[in-house]
Amino acid sequence: MAAPMALRRELCSLARILSGISHLAPRALGVCSGHNKCNIIRSRLPSTSSTSFHTATVFSSITVTEEPDTLFQMVSVMVKGHDRAVLDSYEFFAKMAAQELGITINKVYEPPKDIERLTVLKSVHIFKKHRVQYEMRTHYRCFELSHMTGCTTQVYLEYIQRNLPEGVAMEVSTTAIEKVPDHILEPMWEDRPIDDKPGQ
Amino acid sequence: MAAHTSRAFLSLGRINVPGLGLHKSVSRVTYSTGLSTDSSKATTGSPQKGGKKVLSKKYKREPGDPRTELMPVDQDWTAVYPVATPFIPDAIPLPVRMGCPVKGGAPPEKKGNLELIKIPNFLHLTPAAIKKHCEALKPFCTEWPSALDTDAKCDEHFPIKVETKSYVSAGPSIRNPAARIVHLSVKLSSLNLNDQARKKMLKLVGDRYCKDTDILTITADRCPLKQQNYDYAMYLLTVLYHESWKIEAWEAEKTVADMEEYSWEGSLSQENILDVLVRMKEAGEGEGEEVREQLLGRREVQEYKDSVTRLKNEGENESTMLQYKEAVKKVLKL
Repeated sequence: MAAPMALRRELCSLARILSGISHLAPRALGVCSGHNKCNIIRSRLPSTSSTSFHTATVFSSITVTEEPDTLFQMVSVMVKGHDRAVLDSYEFFAKMAAQELGITINKVYEPPKDIERLTVLKSVHIFKKHRVQYEMRTHYRCFELSHMTGCTTQVYLEYIQRNLPEGVAMEVSTTAIEKVPDHILEPMWEDRPIDDKPGQ
Repeated sequence: MAAHTSRAFLSLGRINVPGLGLHKSVSRVTYSTGLSTDSSKATTGSPQKGGKKVLSKKYKREPGDPRTELMPVDQDWTAVYPVATPFIPDAIPLPVRMGCPVKGGAPPEKKGNLELIKIPNFLHLTPAAIKKHCEALKPFCTEWPSALDTDAKCDEHFPIKVETKSYVSAGPSIRNPAARIVHLSVKLSSLNLNDQARKKMLKLVGDRYCKDTDILTITADRCPLKQQNYDYAMYLLTVLYHESWKIEAWEAEKTVADMEEYSWEGSLSQENILDVLVRMKEAGEGEGEEVREQLLGRREVQEYKDSVTRLKNEGENESTMLQYKEAVKKVLKL
């Protein structure tokens, strides 16, 4: 039983929607970078978004192409920061966003923090016995999301990353699943008998 | 006189009548320096201290009520904080206190509190705002195909897995060189390989194959871009597959030392046990090939063969040693 072909949607006006949400100048999106070989078979009539923000109604046009969507078996998002409270709030935001968009959250856990300490001399010259110690604490939070399509991943990750607070870094690990390509299904030596050429 | 006055102070804005006294200016803002001219002192006559000029009627705007007083309780908060903005105490109707408390007292209040401004706030991401954003983003999402609900089904239909990492952080550069690494893993059982091709593939691949999980992992990081590394990994997989199906002439010279698994047929163990059994005269009188073949067909000899093969392939542990012991006892009739 073959998996049904998922249709790709282009995120042409995601920038416009998010600029309708925010007052920032619309930034150029590199979202549709890798998949530009799609032929636009049909495009829907432009539909205005259902919610109108206080700035203006956003004009959005969604084009649906026939190109099959990438499938991600697991997307793991790890955020790092110096403040645990900020990561707590971010976790609430990310979990709620995933629930609203219908993404299954496998688990959310907190890897133990890392503390990097260093000891330096307090004075510029001599006084070896008097030192001062600094430490840098890095807290982590990891969200594991499973069974997402390429479009949903792009939308969710872009939303999450645009709202990443100051001083927080993110690492995203994706596992895409693919079919065995056509050129590996059958060996190409089938039509010929045993190859007698010397190997080297 | 006009020159004197202009030297004495700087003036911003339009000067109405430069020649007249200071008290006549209503719509201009002026700074006064330490110097003052005798003429201006004489004209105004109002300042009490010598040397310091004071404007008696300085226009000052009264600060009104903070916005929090005028906010209705059921207002749309997403309109107050639509974007990530620093903490504005007069715009947030919450009695927040933050910082190190005074001895015996409370932490400092929100007015003029730097700690509240320093920390990132999530006031623009209230549940109402998240719901609104997700409503707008929903049309761009696609559904996961319902037929692939378990991992086993995913593996069956989509056996190749490509793992990549991407990084987001602030710094002098947004690029991270570790983002170019691509891991391609595939189960060998899902590829179309016969016995000889599989053995050759394992020899070609070496360490990249894990015997317990039957997964071959190809890691590509030699190219600067992720797309290039992915293409290279797919190319490697293709080449490995087709090369492993090729049979070279020199592969016929494979010796016992090259074999991956132990096979009992034609080994020293077979000869030894047959010799022993012939000496014990198990099959009756006579020597020769027929006797050996007859011995081979016996059940005890087959069990012995299984136990020796298992011992050599799996290594020495409790169960293999026990099996070998039982088989030897049966064969030699101990």
